[in-house]
Amino acid sequence: MEEVGTRRARLEQTALAPVLKTSRRYYVWVAFLIAVIAWGVYAYSVQLREGLVVTGMRDRISWGLYITTFVFFIGISHAGTLISAILRVTQAKWRTPVTRMAEFITVVALICGAMFVLVDLGRPDRAFNVVLHGRWQSPIIWDLVSITTYLTASIVYLGLPMVPDLALFRDRLVGRGPAWRVWVYRVGAVGWQGGASQKRSLGAAIGVMMILIIPIAVSVHTVVSWIFAMTLRAPWDSTIFGAFFVAGAIYSGIAMLIIVMAVLRKVYHLEEYITEKHFVYLGFMLAAFSLIMMYGNISEYVTAGYKLKEGEEVHLRQLFLNQFAGFFWYYFVGGLVLPGLIILFPWTRNIAGIVVAAGLAVVAMWVERYFIVVAGLRVPLMPYEPSNYAPTWVELSVVAAGFALFALLITIFVKIFPIIAVWEVAEDLELAEASPADGHIALEGAMQPAGGSQ
Amino acid sequence: MNSIAIKATLISIALSATLFGLVTTASAAHIHMQVVGPAELSIGHPADVRAVLRSAGDDLPVAGATVTFYVTASFDGANGLVELGKAVTGQDGVAVLSYVPRSAGEHEIRVEYLTPGATEPEVATWSHPASGADQLYRSTAGIHVPGLNVWVIIAVVSTVWLILFSVALRVIAIARAGDDADIAAGHSSPRPAGAVSSSTGAGHQP
Repeated sequence: MEEVGTRRARLEQTALAPVLKTSRRYYVWVAFLIAVIAWGVYAYSVQLREGLVVTGMRDRISWGLYITTFVFFIGISHAGTLISAILRVTQAKWRTPVTRMAEFITVVALICGAMFVLVDLGRPDRAFNVVLHGRWQSPIIWDLVSITTYLTASIVYLGLPMVPDLALFRDRLVGRGPAWRVWVYRVGAVGWQGGASQKRSLGAAIGVMMILIIPIAVSVHTVVSWIFAMTLRAPWDSTIFGAFFVAGAIYSGIAMLIIVMAVLRKVYHLEEYITEKHFVYLGFMLAAFSLIMMYGNISEYVTAGYKLKEGEEVHLRQLFLNQFAGFFWYYFVGGLVLPGLIILFPWTRNIAGIVVAAGLAVVAMWVERYFIVVAGLRVPLMPYEPSNYAPTWVELSVVAAGFALFALLITIFVKIFPIIAVWEVAEDLELAEASPADGHIALEGAMQPAGGSQ
Repeated sequence: MNSIAIKATLISIALSATLFGLVTTASAAHIHMQVVGPAELSIGHPADVRAVLRSAGDDLPVAGATVTFYVTASFDGANGLVELGKAVTGQDGVAVLSYVPRSAGEHEIRVEYLTPGATEPEVATWSHPASGADQLYRSTAGIHVPGLNVWVIIAVVSTVWLILFSVALRVIAIARAGDDADIAAGHSSPRPAGAVSSSTGAGHQP
């Protein structure tokens, strides 16, 4: 059997490789993303100059692609923090190679999501008025507070378990990289030496954060749902919107994590650490949440459809049969049922199948947010003809730039920071070596990151 | 001959109309307007507010004049005039508007009359304190549950941020412990890769 020391050395090399080596394909990819972002910035400058009239949004359908993408990204942000925290709290042993990527996704998605709220404003210079003149009774203020808190907590939760790995990078890369990068590692490592008191402090901090981050994450998507549910619109009159949004967020978050995992695994040759087992386990979580989502949808639409109030009738008709039928049935069949089936059937339950299922789910969750926002606003409040919404090139360009920014930030993050939690994976290796039959990681292992094996 | 007579007639009519208009405007510009209210003003009870218009020269009532009533109001820091309604003067030159005060305190009624052809209205005001309960109407929005208010949200958010602050203190503790270790080891600059066996977690070196 291979020695732990050798495996740990290979682990460090794998973690350091993205930082030390940059291929030409990397630069081409970054250039492509910057070009898409630049085009989006130009489109946004047109919007700033001309006003929101250059978008497809009007007085009756006043939210479109921007708010759809905002809700989508906030959902994606649940990938990291919530999934990582839940797996950490439940001591899921297999989580260690994937948590760092998940936490990256959270921070990046939150940044991109929050950006779309500003993009949706015709006068972004007035955004600060929400802080100056906002009222605590308003869901907009709740949203601002919860997203700000979540972003802060997510950055802390991303940074804390990274401290020992940043110390590793700090020490390994002295004289082997640009000075600014070593400076980043030195600052991020906060003087980590691996002493007993440091381990205690870090373990306690991670222990607090992994508990705290769960209610914060749940509150964020609940509050986002309340922005809809607390507005007087028949299609948004739902008591389960909060739970429904949280479940949808976790569903899309898991799916995005699977996709990012697959890409990074391929690009940075992480096959030894991110194995089929990780895809299958996350696939099972995805399948479980697809069932929860199906249940939520059926419960929601059957109760509303049975009573069929006037506004609901218009909404359900446009959703099931008319304008949004294509979106809805893709979402339900292609985005919920099919991914579940792909994962549940043994002959498609492999990396490729699970990535396809995740791709279907991610697209479906964006589509779901689109028809929640646009179809919800399309139902007339008064006896007038329902209006229609079609996004313009400006909106499409800005949204494309948002997704490019998401990809660019992930690309840059993994180029600077440790892509996998080296110390946690190393700890797993040592525990596996010490007690191969033990199927569980001790909580102390998570709580005392650097001391478990000493 | 006939056409000359017609032209002369039309010119005469035009001149007469112009002179008549000038005279009306002049007299309307000298209207005396006065606002008269009741001796008692109490919350929830209608009170007639009267605008009395008389011509300045001969002190005759001005009939058929439309006047606008306003009340000075303040809402959430914004001050301004709220239009109460319009009324037309009768043969006695009096326009009446029924006004129901809805809150305690001083009520200032302002009446405006724009004379034909003028750009600035004639203005008269009347003010009087209203007595009674604090306020006639209260908002019925929401159900007030004692103890359940925005302070609950503020308390929850503050608690979360305090916990985050405590985590920040832990990070400071890590940094300080690192400084102590550096001092004990006799160096403060980053060490070469071979000298960090205890810095990267499990303590193993490749």
